[in-house]
Amino acid sequence: MKNMRLKFIKRGNMIYISHLDLMRFFQRTFRRAGIMLRHTEGFNPQPKMSFATALALGTSSDGEYMDVELDSDISSEALLEKLNENLSEDIKIVKVAEREGKESIMSLIEWGQYVVKVVPNSEYILEEVQKKLDSFLKLEEVIEHKEKKKKNKVTTREVNIRPNIKRVDLMTVENGEIMMNMFLKTGSNGNLKPEVVVAKLVEYADMDLDLESVKVHRVDLFVERDGKIVTPI
Amino acid sequence: MKNENIERILLEVEKPSRYVGGEINSIKKDINENTIRFVMGFPDVYEVGMSHLGSHILYNLINTVEDVACERAYAPWIDMEAKMREHSIPLYGLESGDPLSKFDFVGFTLQYEMSYTNILNMLELSNIPLRWSERGEGDPLVVAGGPCAYNPEPLANIVDFFVIGEGEEVNLEILDIYREMKKGEYTREAYLKRIAQVEGIYVPKFYEAEYNEDGTLKSFEPISEEFPKTVTKRIVEDLDSAYFPDRFVVPYIESVHDRAMVEIFRGCTRGCRFCQAGTIYRPIRERSVETIMNHSRTLLQNTGYDEVSLASLSTSDYSDIEGLVSRMMDEYKDKKIALSLPSLRLDKFPIEMIEEIQKVRKTGLTFAPEAGSQRLRDVINKGIQESDLIESTRNAFRRGWSTVKLYFMIGLPTETDEDVMGIKELAYKVKDEFFAIPREERKGNLKVTASTSCFVPKPFTPYQWFPQDTVEEFDRKTLMLRKSIRDSKVNYNSHDSKLSFLEAVIARGDRKIGEVLIEAHKRGCRFDGWSEHFNYEKWMESFESLGIDPHFYANRERDYEELFPWDFINTGVTKEYLIKENEKSKMAELTKDCRLGCTGCGVNNTFTGGVC
Repeated sequence: MKNMRLKFIKRGNMIYISHLDLMRFFQRTFRRAGIMLRHTEGFNPQPKMSFATALALGTSSDGEYMDVELDSDISSEALLEKLNENLSEDIKIVKVAEREGKESIMSLIEWGQYVVKVVPNSEYILEEVQKKLDSFLKLEEVIEHKEKKKKNKVTTREVNIRPNIKRVDLMTVENGEIMMNMFLKTGSNGNLKPEVVVAKLVEYADMDLDLESVKVHRVDLFVERDGKIVTPI
Repeated sequence: MKNENIERILLEVEKPSRYVGGEINSIKKDINENTIRFVMGFPDVYEVGMSHLGSHILYNLINTVEDVACERAYAPWIDMEAKMREHSIPLYGLESGDPLSKFDFVGFTLQYEMSYTNILNMLELSNIPLRWSERGEGDPLVVAGGPCAYNPEPLANIVDFFVIGEGEEVNLEILDIYREMKKGEYTREAYLKRIAQVEGIYVPKFYEAEYNEDGTLKSFEPISEEFPKTVTKRIVEDLDSAYFPDRFVVPYIESVHDRAMVEIFRGCTRGCRFCQAGTIYRPIRERSVETIMNHSRTLLQNTGYDEVSLASLSTSDYSDIEGLVSRMMDEYKDKKIALSLPSLRLDKFPIEMIEEIQKVRKTGLTFAPEAGSQRLRDVINKGIQESDLIESTRNAFRRGWSTVKLYFMIGLPTETDEDVMGIKELAYKVKDEFFAIPREERKGNLKVTASTSCFVPKPFTPYQWFPQDTVEEFDRKTLMLRKSIRDSKVNYNSHDSKLSFLEAVIARGDRKIGEVLIEAHKRGCRFDGWSEHFNYEKWMESFESLGIDPHFYANRERDYEELFPWDFINTGVTKEYLIKENEKSKMAELTKDCRLGCTGCGVNNTFTGGVC
């Protein structure tokens, strides 16, 4: 038995595959590669495989992670090679390592890095956007109204999302597009979507942006280890 | 597939991966001016189409030919269709993203009558004229095959030509002739004339139908002597050596039958009188255990599925089913690969075997007694006894099962209310078997589900002369059952009688029905087999506006002298045999399994091979 952690990329047509479909997809990929996964016991044995966080439909990523328990003994290099032989350009394993520690990848993830593209409704120059962004990032409170459904009753809760924004860097303003690099709270311990940050820029920083135009690419996911922020492998 | 127009709308629709292709094992060929382009259209949503074994076989077979590129297209779901219309995106082949109108052939498989409006919708979304008479040299040839093609007439105004019988026999021939003619003086007309000579091909434009005043068919003849008077189905003679793909396209999203499928035999020897498949797939042809083992091994290896199903019309009738299953279990148990055996018969129900295979994954049990009384089961020649059902369920309950589904039909010939109530009685007897087991030995929570569908008389069965029950009669019988089945352990489901009525109209329809299909399509009918989209009123308006009486097709008793629109097709089974079976049915007289001795259906005079 071997516990492994894998890093993979998802792009092209694969961005249309939902999280549930992705799990089934990987189960089949392991079978095609001839690598047996450990299964749960019981009437309906399931392969032991868990993913870091779900990626929204339509989002590409260079940094997705999963943990698997293998029934066979295989080196990290061989595992990567065999899986990639059975994968396409649009989904590929880029790193494999033996897993240390027992905690599930799902509970470990703290931060995500995103590249966000958005089209403004009015014309902006870089300096202008930078100024608005700076003022936004100086705020101590950014309120998000979260709706919660409970027994047919919808209650709204006010949450300050500012602590969930670590950084927002302006990359470029050109060709009618604004590109930003965002570092946001991600995972089961708190999750902030880049789309929400864009909406808050409109609301708090008086920016005229087309919310429908937002395109997100996930760069990587991060865990906190000994107070430092590092990738899971 | 790369197309910015399409990409723009994908995130606005449900399950976008239905529309992007690029799945594992999909075949994307380089296209040049010499490539013959074929697209297999499946007139239902992607997940249904991807579960169809025949499509997988034909897609791979056609793609084995070097200069032919076969792609796939499915009916876009309502949301996607709306977006495509809004942005003027034509229906496209999943492999290239090219519009269907660019292809040489657009093929449709006819699995179910109520998918016909989807064919029209798919043609319209492709900007291909609906009627063959409106299509010109630049348009694709529209071809159709599959079980419903045995009565091609409802689509005779729409489809350029039909393949009658088993596609793996004929499809390569029509492509070869096309290639050859494209080098010389090809015209659409010349090509159709040429392939009309090929056995198993029906080109409707070369046949003419005349009608009597009462609406029945007066004559049906080829327009000239160069075309055959009858079209004989094509079959694969030796199934064991027949082509079988070593890989299937594996969908990203869950399909209806999300597993590897291996066909173990074709045909059925039982002779149930309601069953069209039992006639059209004759004679029976089996694959050897060795071949099946090889096919399933490569398929599992190349797809990564964790389940394989043994496909056939009656899986437990396979000559060496026990040997096959035990070899599969030996090979698959440690690999956690599940085996599923659909279509098991009650009188040959190998419960020990089922128990063994379900150690990997346990599912409920499904039985099809078809009728509630022994008399009626004898009428339809189902040939199973009540004791078969009781014994099978008793054994299953003792072994820990607690979920049983029972399938029945209502509206079978000679059916009385007593027969209908027999459905309830049978379901209750099954329940009693569960509670006859001492409380401490019972496992799970019992759930018996009885489902009834409405009988649809089909061509090439002994019931092709039979009037279908009216919608009112179906509803009366269903309500009677619904009112009397009052037990928390027994559920009752019934099918939509109106849908079955239309199915019956189209199943025995003639060329006039084709115009109704076009009219219903114009009025927005599509996905008729999906209850949320089925619109009976629009169908009725369509019949009315054309002055066509649907009851003439569904509810009329025919006499033996009547000429049927499908009579020019030769399935190998003679009309005399069907008449004899119809007469025996009236007497509740059984016809034995033809594995036990020839019953004289005639198929052995037309085709060699099989047990005949």
